[in-house]
Amino acid sequence: MKTLKDTNSIEYTMEMVGITKTFPGVLANDDVTLRVKPGEVHGLLGENGAGKSTLMNILYGLHQQDDGDIFINGRKTRITSPRVAVDHGIGMVHQHFMLIDNLTVLENIVLGIPPEHPPFLDLNSARTRFKKITEEYQIPINPSTPVWQLPVGDKQWLEILKQLFRQAKLLILDEPTAVFAPSQVEQFFIKLRQLTEEGCAIIFISHKLDEVLEITDRITVLRDGKLIGTVTTNQTNSTELAQMMVGREVSHDRKPRPPSVEKKEVLVADNLCCMDDRNVPALRNLNLTVHTGEIVGLAGVDGNGQKELAECIAGLRQPTGGKVSIQGKPITHVTRDTSLLGYIPQDRHTIGLIEPFTVEENLVLKTFDTDPLTRRGIIRWRSIQNNADKLIDEFNVKTPSSRIPVRNLSGGNQQKVVIARELSGKPALLVASHATRGLDLGAVESVHNILLHERNQGTAVLFVSAELSEVMALSDRIAVIFNGEIVGILDAEGADINLIGELMLGHRETVLNTMQN
Amino acid sequence: MNKPKLSSIRIPLLGELILSGGRPVIAIFLALFVSAIIIYFLGVNPIAAYTSLLKGAVGSIPGMANTCVRASPLLLGGIAVAIGFKGGLLNVGVDGQLYAGAAASTVVGLISMPVPPWLHLIITILAGFLGGALWALIPAYLRAYRGVSEVVVTLMLNYVAIYFVSWLVHEPALLFEEGASFPQSPLILPSAQLPILIGRTSLHSGIILGVVMAFLMYLLIRFTPFGFRTRMVGENPEASRYAGINVKAQTMMVLMVSGGFGGLAGAIEILGLKHRLFDMFSGGVGYEAIAVALLANANLIGVIIAAFFFGVLKAGASKMQIVVGIEASMSLIIQALAVIFVIALGLGGSRMKKRRRRSQKNITITETIEDGD
Repeated sequence: MKTLKDTNSIEYTMEMVGITKTFPGVLANDDVTLRVKPGEVHGLLGENGAGKSTLMNILYGLHQQDDGDIFINGRKTRITSPRVAVDHGIGMVHQHFMLIDNLTVLENIVLGIPPEHPPFLDLNSARTRFKKITEEYQIPINPSTPVWQLPVGDKQWLEILKQLFRQAKLLILDEPTAVFAPSQVEQFFIKLRQLTEEGCAIIFISHKLDEVLEITDRITVLRDGKLIGTVTTNQTNSTELAQMMVGREVSHDRKPRPPSVEKKEVLVADNLCCMDDRNVPALRNLNLTVHTGEIVGLAGVDGNGQKELAECIAGLRQPTGGKVSIQGKPITHVTRDTSLLGYIPQDRHTIGLIEPFTVEENLVLKTFDTDPLTRRGIIRWRSIQNNADKLIDEFNVKTPSSRIPVRNLSGGNQQKVVIARELSGKPALLVASHATRGLDLGAVESVHNILLHERNQGTAVLFVSAELSEVMALSDRIAVIFNGEIVGILDAEGADINLIGELMLGHRETVLNTMQN
Repeated sequence: MNKPKLSSIRIPLLGELILSGGRPVIAIFLALFVSAIIIYFLGVNPIAAYTSLLKGAVGSIPGMANTCVRASPLLLGGIAVAIGFKGGLLNVGVDGQLYAGAAASTVVGLISMPVPPWLHLIITILAGFLGGALWALIPAYLRAYRGVSEVVVTLMLNYVAIYFVSWLVHEPALLFEEGASFPQSPLILPSAQLPILIGRTSLHSGIILGVVMAFLMYLLIRFTPFGFRTRMVGENPEASRYAGINVKAQTMMVLMVSGGFGGLAGAIEILGLKHRLFDMFSGGVGYEAIAVALLANANLIGVIIAAFFFGVLKAGASKMQIVVGIEASMSLIIQALAVIFVIALGLGGSRMKKRRRRSQKNITITETIEDGD
């Protein structure tokens, strides 16, 4: 028998109804509805670019929706800025720490809260309140410790404590477990439960399916900016979720190609280990081989070690264990040998190009000091221009002149400049990291064609992308990376996209079961 | 998602070109204009004031000599700062490097060598360069390998250099001249002195060295791999690292070359003009060199023009004071205004560029937003 709850209780803490948000050329959210009940942990799932961040940024007042309404505690609310969101008890914990390392824990806590008696800052009463909260949740963090001394796990807790201190009633946690060790995750979940028992609602954003299944009460799945559905956690399973996330349709057709004839090992990564920028292990005994004349697609959710692997291959990151070699040559430092490696880095604006430099200068960033571009210590600008003219023609770069700053080119043509430079030395191995990110469809198509052409010429290509359909369309073999390991290598021809989707989420068991069936 | 269009590619407009190339010239005119208003309110006809200033600076052979003598250290110091800018470094330690270079060349200039006089002079000049370069070694190492801001360290080392030289020329240190009434070193040997270009003036050949060096450095930046690397590291160290450049070594070398030119500025002051080292001899030329490089927009050829502009102001100021009664320090006001205007124009220009770029890139930017998940 269902009884009415007391009068001020409501069904939903927060409702976002029919949210639509367009950026010029992109429909980021298309009629998305998200309802969060008091005291529940609500999972928000979706691939990169599915619209999770946009939706949360709207809720937190960073973006304004074009259409749709937000209700807080049943009341229609317009959230015009993060300040308004905070006033309504919404707290957001970003994927990256928003802490000031040189300040103490307590100073970080009060940062941004208007003092009660300005201009004076009452740290003592804040300290008392902070201690009360930490005791309540048994989080032993000393308020006087400078933040840089905290271990990463404590920093994450500090981010959450910051929100609790502001009396947040709805917490948005974006990938909160990324910094925790597995044992800490258990602890973390116990405390999240304690939070929800006190009426706090949590939106839990994660790529890790098993964690979402463990901690959430309900799950909303987005794909391509659209709401796919909201399910109750104990009535679903990972296979269903993976299918909802990845979808069934493949938008890119597989590209026809001749079979690769001669197969020689080009790239060999042998038990490769390395750390990421935070000094957390990023690659764990990774093994991968790429042969002549094949494209190996590296599929995986962003942040599972793709960037670190590419940097190890390019010699930009020092492995902490294992080896990586190209054509038998071990890579120990940055190689400028363009006949060995071509590397299209993940971010062309900041590391692939020098934007104020001209097109012709950007085309020779690795070779300007070699013959024939430099002879007897003198740069020969005529050779550099000839080189540019040749490459602009060969790769069909659209630019009015080779002497204009590369920043004046469109994104697709900028990327062609990077590709032209990296392929100009006829490398044995080409590593392409997110080579089509942010490009329009036409440019994506021509990048694909260039890579395929290289493959047909006998180049070994490692194609890193977070877009599964693209990987499926272009690769000969697909290696799935999860948590710094290759969890599966499949032939791209006839590969099951759902299977790869599950591998990407670290579901080896499910996959094995499916295969047995 | 739209296809790449040629219309979305913009070539620099004529106006933008004028703004970047002609920015220092516009800044100088603005500075002269604003100063003219100030002079007018001081009760003097600005045209008469400027005429007397010009007459004092370039109206006679001694005046022109004086202008060149004053421009020389500014020119070499300006080259020092401009080279730093090319490599993304702000060397505000030219004053200290100038003292270090001056001390080094004084020491070498005092030693009698069994070599022809011209060789002694060259060795002495090189000593000045090395002195400045070594003085910049400390900030260069700290910046390149320890991530310490070169601004702070070069600035602080100025005082160390100034007082070190002060100690050198005081009793009982190395360079103290016996029986002198003022703390100073003995005169350097005639073989180490820069030749005088025009008799009965103090015009020494340092100005030629400065102009030649400006052109040489222009060519170095433009036509050598070293120059290309310097510009790469200056514009984008991260992309340079990805392209296999040793960013740390390059940063260190650029700051040391920059310091070397600071040292040269000090060396020619001693070898050409003062002929001995004494306490506080520079009077802040190293700081004015920063203004010279800023006015020239870090362009190495522009540095020549900017240094001469400053030289004219300094040389003509006393004439202006005598003829129309405007304090000589008015020239400092004009200098300062010129630098302020060139910076303001630079900011305005890059803002305009950015705004245009933004409107043109609008689509690509928003397309990439979603990838930030």
